[in-house]
Amino acid sequence: MTAVPRLECIALTRTLPSGGQALTVLDHVDLSISAGEFCAILGPSGSGKSTLLGLLAGLDRPTSGEILLDGERIDDKSEDQLSLLRRAKVGFVFQSFQLLGNLTALENVLLPLELAGVRAAPARARELLEQVGLGARTHHYPSQLSGGEQQRVALARAFGPRPSVLFADEPTGNLDAATGARILELLSELHQREQTTLVLVTHDPSIARHAQRRIHLRAGRVERIEEGVSV
Amino acid sequence: MKALDVLRGAWRESRGSGPRLLFFIACLALGVAAITGVSGLVDAIEQALVAQSRELLGADVSIQARRPIDAKVDEFLAFDAQRERAQARETPTLVAFGQRSKLAELKAVSANFPFYGRIVLEPDGRLGEVLDEQSCAVAPELANELGARVGDELSIGGKPYRIAALVRDEPGRLDIGFTLGPRVFVTLEGLARSGLEQFGSRMRYRELYRLPSSPDERRIAQLKREVNEGIEDAAYLRIESHREAQPTVRRSLRQVESYLGLVALLSLVLGGVGVAQIVRAWVASRTQAVAVLRVLGARPREVLAMYLTHVALLALVGSSLGALAGSFAPHLVARIAADLLPSGFELSWSPLALLRGLGLGVGIALVFSTPPLTAVWRVSPARVLRTDIEPLPAPRAVAWGAAALVALGLFAAAWTQSRELTVAAGFTAALAVLAGALALGARALTRLAAHVPRERLNPYLRNGVAALARPGIGVVGATVALGFGVLVITLMALVESRLSERLRNALPTDAPSVFLLDVQPDQRESVRELATRQGAVNYSDVPVLTARLASINGVSVRDIAPGRAEAKGREQWVLMREQRITWASTLPADNRVVAGELWSDPQRLELSVEKDFAEDLGVGLGDRLAFDVQGVEIEFAVTSLRTVEWESFGINFFLMAEPGSLDHAPHSVLAAVRLEPAQEASLQRELASSAPNVTPIGVRAILEKVLAVLSKLAAAVRVLGLFTILTGLVILAGVASSSAVHRGREVALLKTLGLTRAGVVTLFGIEFALVGLVAGAIGATAAFALAWVFLERVVELGAELPWAALPAATLATALASALCGLAANLRALASRPIESLRG
Ligand SMILES: Nc1ncnc2c1ncn2[C@@H]1O[C@H](COP(=O)(O)OP(=O)(O)O)[C@@H](O)[C@H]1O
Ligand SMILES: [Mg+2]
Repeated sequence: MTAVPRLECIALTRTLPSGGQALTVLDHVDLSISAGEFCAILGPSGSGKSTLLGLLAGLDRPTSGEILLDGERIDDKSEDQLSLLRRAKVGFVFQSFQLLGNLTALENVLLPLELAGVRAAPARARELLEQVGLGARTHHYPSQLSGGEQQRVALARAFGPRPSVLFADEPTGNLDAATGARILELLSELHQREQTTLVLVTHDPSIARHAQRRIHLRAGRVERIEEGVSV
Repeated sequence: MKALDVLRGAWRESRGSGPRLLFFIACLALGVAAITGVSGLVDAIEQALVAQSRELLGADVSIQARRPIDAKVDEFLAFDAQRERAQARETPTLVAFGQRSKLAELKAVSANFPFYGRIVLEPDGRLGEVLDEQSCAVAPELANELGARVGDELSIGGKPYRIAALVRDEPGRLDIGFTLGPRVFVTLEGLARSGLEQFGSRMRYRELYRLPSSPDERRIAQLKREVNEGIEDAAYLRIESHREAQPTVRRSLRQVESYLGLVALLSLVLGGVGVAQIVRAWVASRTQAVAVLRVLGARPREVLAMYLTHVALLALVGSSLGALAGSFAPHLVARIAADLLPSGFELSWSPLALLRGLGLGVGIALVFSTPPLTAVWRVSPARVLRTDIEPLPAPRAVAWGAAALVALGLFAAAWTQSRELTVAAGFTAALAVLAGALALGARALTRLAAHVPRERLNPYLRNGVAALARPGIGVVGATVALGFGVLVITLMALVESRLSERLRNALPTDAPSVFLLDVQPDQRESVRELATRQGAVNYSDVPVLTARLASINGVSVRDIAPGRAEAKGREQWVLMREQRITWASTLPADNRVVAGELWSDPQRLELSVEKDFAEDLGVGLGDRLAFDVQGVEIEFAVTSLRTVEWESFGINFFLMAEPGSLDHAPHSVLAAVRLEPAQEASLQRELASSAPNVTPIGVRAILEKVLAVLSKLAAAVRVLGLFTILTGLVILAGVASSSAVHRGREVALLKTLGLTRAGVVTLFGIEFALVGLVAGAIGATAAFALAWVFLERVVELGAELPWAALPAATLATALASALCGLAANLRALASRPIESLRG
């Protein structure tokens, strides 16, 4: 591949203060993810998956190493610059859904659309909610929705501004198997339709199977990388 | 669960929640400080008044008369074997030096005068030691005017007296304000040598006692009764004790305390509302922990006990801090505004006030925490398994019990502060109605907010409206708490400013500055003429008759008085004192008949009585009062009750008889007149020569004092208002910060979604401002309504309210709310986006 990778990190290291001494959570991680790719990050609990995801998404800054999004360095940007960058390019789905409790489903989807300055935002938000099968629930509050429904709203919200990269941190971790499967289906559907690059954290190999690449983390290091969809 | 476990659980609860503890403590500390400060200050002022009046009197008991006092009087004071007696005589007289002479007030005293207070001499010395039969001590202005110095000889009654010293200061002297002339002291022997006593018509005699046994008011009352019954011309004696000095001042002081006490209580109640809010949020954040406790077998009662213990401990800390701070109030006032306190003010700690503040603080905290804590009944143990489980319904008895507890607690607190059942009941009822109205208003507005079409709003505004519309997130509680604060603050500001403005104008520029006592009926015209020649403005005069009350409805007052409750010493005094009665066909302009009709009964002699005085006497319309007018009993029927605007300082009487009824009884005339200070002096001189029996009393100093007292009161109310505002802000911050954990997550998420820091601040700022706007609108509107009712209907001052302040107060609340909310959430606002990835 000669094209600039969508997302790249070089010697990415993150240490955290932990009881007086520094704990190395990520240790010289090198990665390159190309546009439109579906990439899964796997590893046991505490191996540094969420930390890596946060760094790649510009939520946190590395102790050392470089991160490039569309060839542009983001590891030295200020918090506000990163916020503006995320508006335009990054979407998120969380394990614990993270909807704003005061806002209805529609308003939750609307918020990033408006921040990104998308025109006809309400129409787009409705359309997205239709796509995740919640066209009839637009005016419901998160507390009035089941876990699976909340995560579907979160999906609609994440895809709304057509981000170039979508990060998902164990999106099915809080759901039962059947609901989780339905969410994954939706996720890959949207991923394909919107041509979004997808970086998904999981510790469930059966989910990771769908990914084009699987990056295995162990104790903050890349243990191995598997290529190709396994069946 | 054992008590120890409860304590341990409570302690664990306090760890790791700094801001909550801080706001909780601050809420209570402010209110308790206000309460302790008020009662400490009033206690201190009262003590000072008693000490001061002893100095003014110079003795524990003073017996005074216009004629020589029967030596037998001493026998009645034999109950104190260690008593000491001093004597004084006073008379106006001319003092001459060379060719010049001047009217002075001569006071002859025994060597041990005064027992209390100090007469400051120059050169320094004790009056009793400096003076002998041949010498005198004089006021410096007298020496100046005569051109004499210490060592020179003055002539008094034609006899020589060497000036032994100048009188620099004399306790009580200044308070009289207007006297017949500068002071001259001589000894009793010196007075005898002058021969002035032979023309004793204007001589005033005084027997002064120091009583080491320190008799209480009851003993003094007994002394008066005994003297009255045992001495023939007791009617001419005036017996005063420092203990009953200034009864009216002390009574109004108590009223002021009751009023200020309630205002201070309001600030504590506000603190209680804040505590309730904080506790509500705290319990909500502990639902999971409560569920675990329930699974482990704790009953709701036990969980409640654990949390209440925690509240009690915190409340104790907060109240102690507040009580301590409040008890510094008198000291602080003494330091920064010494002129607010009466002279002779001695600082003292009043442990009782401290304890009361402590008790009220802890009590209010417990009472107000109970309703939100009943939420533990609603926590299902099944929550440990699933977070979306329905809350259990709370038992009805628990909810009602908690509400009743709050009402009872408020009532008890109000009773403690006002010492009057009706006032306490009114206070509680008013608060209940207000809280209900505020809750209804807040609920209605949140309903309304839910119907605002939010889709078209910009995202920042939408989030704010959404927060208002969101049911069950404590917005209603916060709005009520905040609205209540706004209401109290605005109401107090409105009423206070209107009242003080009114009081300022009520001391009219034409209020009399001199009263002329003892004008004889045949001098009435000549005195009026004299005063008018001096340039008098607003001359008015009325006939006055002094008489004692003989009987009420045919029952002798001697039989009634002892039956009156001991606590109400004033009522006894009211019955026994010399009454002054006037008569006229019409009422003064500032009087208003509130019951009955003036001069409406052609059959009987009629009396119109001031309403409060009638209450003190225990009489009403139709009752018959008989007076002993120099041996003749005259009976009147009460046919009307009036109110009097005492602030106008005109001539006013409690008792007014129908015209003509007393024309032929021996009486005098009382005149009131307004004069410039220079005119006062010259009128005084003219009167001394042409009508020496007339006593002029200057009230200019008193007027100025009253004005000063009024403005001090206003200042006190304003300071308390400040406390309320502070408490309101603390509540605001407390309520805002109680959701800080939740806010922190929201901030992290919003930043993850692409909001900049400024964006987050705007978003939350608007949300807090909207809550403030709603609370401000409700609170300020209610305050204006109440102020209008109070000013227009209750005190009838006319309600010219500054309506522009209504939107101003509302906007100010919104602004304060935004600032406080943001300030209280500084930590939350600093949350980093990465935190959104953690659970
Ligand atoms: N704020 C933090 N402070 C200290 N240690 C942390 C912090 N966040 C994460 N860690 C530690 O870093 C390691 C990796 O965490 P994380 O990336 O969340 O793991 P994963 O998502 O793979 O479960 C863990 O050992 C965790 O305890
Ligand atoms: Mg993780």
